[in-house]
Amino acid sequence: MTDEDKVWPTGLNLKEAEEVHSYLIDGTRVFGGIALLAHILVAVSTPWLG
Amino acid sequence: MNNAKIWLVVPPAVGVPLFLGAVAVGSFAVHVAVLSNTSWVSDFLSGAPLGSGDMAAAALPDTDAAVKPASYAMMPDGSFEMTIILPDGTHAQAVVQPPELRTASATPLVAQ
Repeated sequence: MTDEDKVWPTGLNLKEAEEVHSYLIDGTRVFGGIALLAHILVAVSTPWLG
Repeated sequence: MNNAKIWLVVPPAVGVPLFLGAVAVGSFAVHVAVLSNTSWVSDFLSGAPLGSGDMAAAALPDTDAAVKPASYAMMPDGSFEMTIILPDGTHAQAVVQPPELRTASATPLVAQ
């Protein structure tokens, strides 16, 4: 059994952990993009940040 | 993807809600801080010119509890002497006299 196939205490192997992580990274990027756009709009249209 | 190894020791059922919850609490706290330190948000949301809320609030009579305490006592001669307790705790005396009393006690302008 290689290290990649080892089942860790969480019940995942390395490949499954990387899949979970990729979804989390994708979600964070989408959230960040929407938040960045929203903050730009607020900075333009209100006195926020002076 | 090196950080993906966290899911080998932290169950996603625990770590993902924890991560999302931390993001939610953090962003909520920042927005509360912005709202509680600025005064233009309600104007913006209600479509009023920014700053008009502050102007309206400044025009209202001061109902601050710190300036409410004040007492007065009527003097026997009909004038009013008021003791005014200032917001910093110091006292001041103010005498309110009726017009005729002021006229009677006024120094004549023409020397006799």
